[in-house]
Amino acid sequence: MGRKSPLWKFTEPRGTYDVVVIGGGLHGLAAAYYLAKDQKVKRVAVLERKHFGYGGSSRNTEVYRVNQRAPEILPLYLLSRNLWLELSAELEWNLMVWEKGMIGLAHSDAGLNAIRMRHETQTRMGIENYMLTPEELKKLVPALDVSDKAAIPIVGGYFNPPGGQVRHDAAVWGFLKGCYKEGVDLCPGTEVTGINVTDGKVTGVDTNKGSISCAAVHMAPGGYSSEVARLAHLDLPVMTMPLQAMVTECVKPFLDHVVVSEGYFCYVQQSIKGDLIMGAHLDPWQSYKLYNTYEFAQEQAYCMLQLFPDIAHLRLMRSWSGLCDMTVDGAPIMGATEVENLFIDAGWGYFGFKSSPACGKTMAQFIASGQCPELINFLGIDRFYEGRMIPEVYMVRT
Amino acid sequence: MGFLIPCPNCGLRSAYEFKFGGEVKNEPGHGAGLCEWRHYFYFNKNVAGVQEEWWYHYPCQTWVIVTRDTATNEVVGSPRLM
Repeated sequence: MGRKSPLWKFTEPRGTYDVVVIGGGLHGLAAAYYLAKDQKVKRVAVLERKHFGYGGSSRNTEVYRVNQRAPEILPLYLLSRNLWLELSAELEWNLMVWEKGMIGLAHSDAGLNAIRMRHETQTRMGIENYMLTPEELKKLVPALDVSDKAAIPIVGGYFNPPGGQVRHDAAVWGFLKGCYKEGVDLCPGTEVTGINVTDGKVTGVDTNKGSISCAAVHMAPGGYSSEVARLAHLDLPVMTMPLQAMVTECVKPFLDHVVVSEGYFCYVQQSIKGDLIMGAHLDPWQSYKLYNTYEFAQEQAYCMLQLFPDIAHLRLMRSWSGLCDMTVDGAPIMGATEVENLFIDAGWGYFGFKSSPACGKTMAQFIASGQCPELINFLGIDRFYEGRMIPEVYMVRT
Repeated sequence: MGFLIPCPNCGLRSAYEFKFGGEVKNEPGHGAGLCEWRHYFYFNKNVAGVQEEWWYHYPCQTWVIVTRDTATNEVVGSPRLM
């Protein structure tokens, strides 16, 4: 039976808004949704240059987790994980959340120490985590090769239950549905060409569809953050790099966890449909071009076969790339800017997907109240001038 | 594949043979404050377009300045030796 009314409708932007959100990815949509729903802001618009979810929101590998290194940022990820678990019910839209748990692998004593340190941090913060021996790993993940045949054999690992997978397109559609229900204007094909500032205060934006005046602007542009911030004459401490990932053909379920190797710098999970989603490779240079390289596929396949020799016959179905705005300390940039009422949520590099609901919620709180929530008040851009770096680490191969 | 960079010593080589050294920036002069230095170290123009940038070619151990369009990865002109 056909659906009678659409779940959302797109619209052309109007002339005036309370808050304009630049970027129709998960971060922007989540911010708009929580601005309207939690903060009761009446007139909110999301301006998207291409189509909703064009960027990193549809170019990730669908993983969420709460086992990052820096303890100060963990509560934000924990909030995000809790929101992912609640959102399907709240949005009345199945996000296909599958909390399968993370399996991490160490291939050296140094790797084991790094895992042990994170284990202590998480345990102290009440996040469930277990250290495992190679034998225990083999019991949980039977396909894993824990012998000493691999180029760098596995010496230990962890099991971190509060992590898993969210269907990324469903997340975009869910937030679109939620935004529409809360009365947010959704404007695809709307490119912001200028951010207007008078006396150090934001007054509106220029777009290809005319000028819009607004009391506040929130920039959530993903990999294009520098290009958008430049419209307000701001430099960002980021460099945009291309990340590649790929999927195999579908096979019967055999992998019930997200498996991350911290020696080969790669990870893999099997989706509900049966394909193996694997990544990731960050080309170690600045580029805004979306491309895939043979070198990536070759190296990724090699690493995967070191972990799972039995998947040798699987064919690759697709590969893709996305843009990552990488900060120097591996932590994001969230908060206010030197321009009054101009907010930013950027620098998420290749790990923005998992945090999107929490970023939307906290930024909405900040934008509506003017008070920076404790969860994100150390993530401002000023930390780079004050030398307050956050000891996060990058986990992908470059 | 990635893309090729013309090395002044070795000719056209795969970008994977090089180390990317970031965009060319103006170094703060003597007497610059900590804030200026931090801006120099951490902040980038990060242009989606043509820019000058540092590349190090591992095989011949040479730093070169390459002009490249970051939106297409096309190298413009020939690199300068430093």
